Amino acid sequence: MEFVPAGFVLLQQLEPRIMDWGWVRENFAEDVLPALVGHVYLSGVSLAIALAISLPTGVLVARYRKAYPPVVFLAGLLFTIPSLALFAILVTVPGIGIGPNAVIIALVAYSILVLVRNTVAGLDSVPPETIDAARGMGLTARQILFKVELPLALPVIVAGVRIATVTVIGIATIGAYIAGGGLGQLIFDGIDRLFPTMIITGAALATALAVAADVGLLLLERRLRPWARRAGGQG
Amino acid sequence: MIEFRGVTKTYPGSERPAVDDLSFEVPEGEICVLVGPSGCGKTTTMRMINRLIEPTEGEILIGGEPNTRISATELRRKIGYAIQQIGLFPHRTIAENVGTVPSLLEWDKERIRRRVDEMLELVGLNPDDFRNRYPAELSGGQQQRVGVARALAADPPIMLMDEPFGAVDPITRERLQDEFLKIQQDIRKTIVFVTHDIDEAIKLGDRIAILKQGGTLAQYDSPENILTNPASEFVASFVGTDRVLKRLSLTRLEEIELGPPQGNGGLPRLPEQASLKDALSEMIGSGAERVLVISGEGRVRGSLSLDELRRLSGRAG
Repeated sequence: MEFVPAGFVLLQQLEPRIMDWGWVRENFAEDVLPALVGHVYLSGVSLAIALAISLPTGVLVARYRKAYPPVVFLAGLLFTIPSLALFAILVTVPGIGIGPNAVIIALVAYSILVLVRNTVAGLDSVPPETIDAARGMGLTARQILFKVELPLALPVIVAGVRIATVTVIGIATIGAYIAGGGLGQLIFDGIDRLFPTMIITGAALATALAVAADVGLLLLERRLRPWARRAGGQG
Repeated sequence: MIEFRGVTKTYPGSERPAVDDLSFEVPEGEICVLVGPSGCGKTTTMRMINRLIEPTEGEILIGGEPNTRISATELRRKIGYAIQQIGLFPHRTIAENVGTVPSLLEWDKERIRRRVDEMLELVGLNPDDFRNRYPAELSGGQQQRVGVARALAADPPIMLMDEPFGAVDPITRERLQDEFLKIQQDIRKTIVFVTHDIDEAIKLGDRIAILKQGGTLAQYDSPENILTNPASEFVASFVGTDRVLKRLSLTRLEEIELGPPQGNGGLPRLPEQASLKDALSEMIGSGAERVLVISGEGRVRGSLSLDELRRLSGRAG
C-alpha cells in the first residue's frame, strides 16, 4: 500500500475550505482581534520583564567578570529546555498554575540569555580610550555608564532585543496550550476543529507580528546611532 | 605649581615599583615633557597627577595643596586631559565633545556655545564646518585637534597630554606641534606632556624629565642642559649621538648675533626663523662657507659663517 502522510490526507479533505474569509470577517472582533491583542500583551510584558532583569544583570556581570560565565551558563540552561516541557513544569508549580502567567515566566526565561549576552557585548564594544577620556575629564562612574557606555552599547542591546522579540512572539503561540491566550489559541482551536482558516489566520498574524516588530526595532537601531550613518571620514 | 614629593607607585601583584621615589617640580606656565623608553613609568607618572592612578607612597601637590584635598572627579574637571587615542565620544557631535567639561561644570548653554566656537577656531577648525559633525567624519589630524580643544575647553590651568600627536603622520604631527607651541605662547598653561620621542621632547619642552626603566628620574633639566651635559651614560645614549645637531636645532638665527652681510649675492639665503641646524645643513648642501640671513620683510639682516657656527656649537658643548 502506498504511504501517504497524514497531513496530506487532512489537507486534501479540507481543500475546498482552506481559507474561509467569511469566517475571518464575522469573527474578527470576537476571536481574531482579542487573540492578536493577547499575543502582543504576552510578548510585550515578557520582553519588558526580561529587559528589566537582563539590563542590570548585564551591566553588573560586565563589571564583575567572574560572574559572567555562571550567569550565561544558567541562562543557557533555561534556553535549552524545550518550551512545551517548560510550560508543563511551570503549571505544576503552586501559585503559577495554568494561564498567561506561566507563559510569561517561560518567555522571560527564554529571553534572558540573548539579552544579557548582548548587553555585555555592547558594553565591551565601547572603546576603552573613550572611557579613559571620560574618566580623565571628570565624569563620575554613573555619568560614564549612562552618558557614554549605555548609549554606545544601545545598538548592540537593541539587536539582542530584536532576536528576543522574534523568539518570544514565536514561542508565545505554544502558550495557548496551557491557556495563555494569544494567537496560538486560534491555531490550537483550528486543529481541534479541523478548520484550517483559523490555523492560517493565527499563523499568518503571528508571522506578521514578528516581522513588523523586527523591522520596527531595526529602524530604531539605526536611529539610535546617527553617528554611524554619516561615518566615513575624509582627508 | 605641580610638585612630586617622593612619589612611588607599585602595581598590585608586581614586585618592582613602576615609579620609584620621584621628586620634581613643574613651574607654572611651563611645558614639562616626561620622556623615556617604554616601561619607564612616564604615563603612570602623568596619570597620578589627576588621580587616574593613586600613588602607593608620597604625594603630589598642585598649587601647594595635595591633589587628594578635593574629590578625584572635581580635580579632573580642573585639569585638561588629552591622550594619543583621543577618545572622542563617537555618539556626540564635535560641539558636544568640546563642551563636555563646561557642561559638567554647568555653564549656561550660550557660554558653552561661544566657548566651543572659540576653541575650534583656536585649533584651526572652522566652527561652522565642524560643530555639528560626528568624530567618525573627521580625519585623524582633525580628531587630534578636537581632542586638544576639548582638553582646553574649561580653561584649566593645568593640562596633561599623553602623546597627543602620536597617532598622526609625521608631517601633520610637525604642524600640530608648531601650532601647539604657538597656542601655548598665548595661554601659558602648566603642561605635563608624555612622549617616547626625544626629538618631540626637545622641541616642545621647557623642561625635560628623562625617566629610565624602573621609574626613576635620570635627569630633569632644560633641553639645552640635557643636550650639553647629559647626567649619565643612559641619558647620553637616550638623547643620541647627534646631540650637537639637536642642540643646534634649538636655536634660531634671529636669536644669535650675526656677522655683517659679506660676500656676493651667490650665497645661500635663509629666513631668520630657521634654526642653526638648518643653516649648517644649507652650508653642507651648497658647499658655501657662509649663509645670508633674511628678515621677514626680505632685507638681509646679516650673515653666519661656518666658523662662527662651529664656535656656537662648541660654546654650547
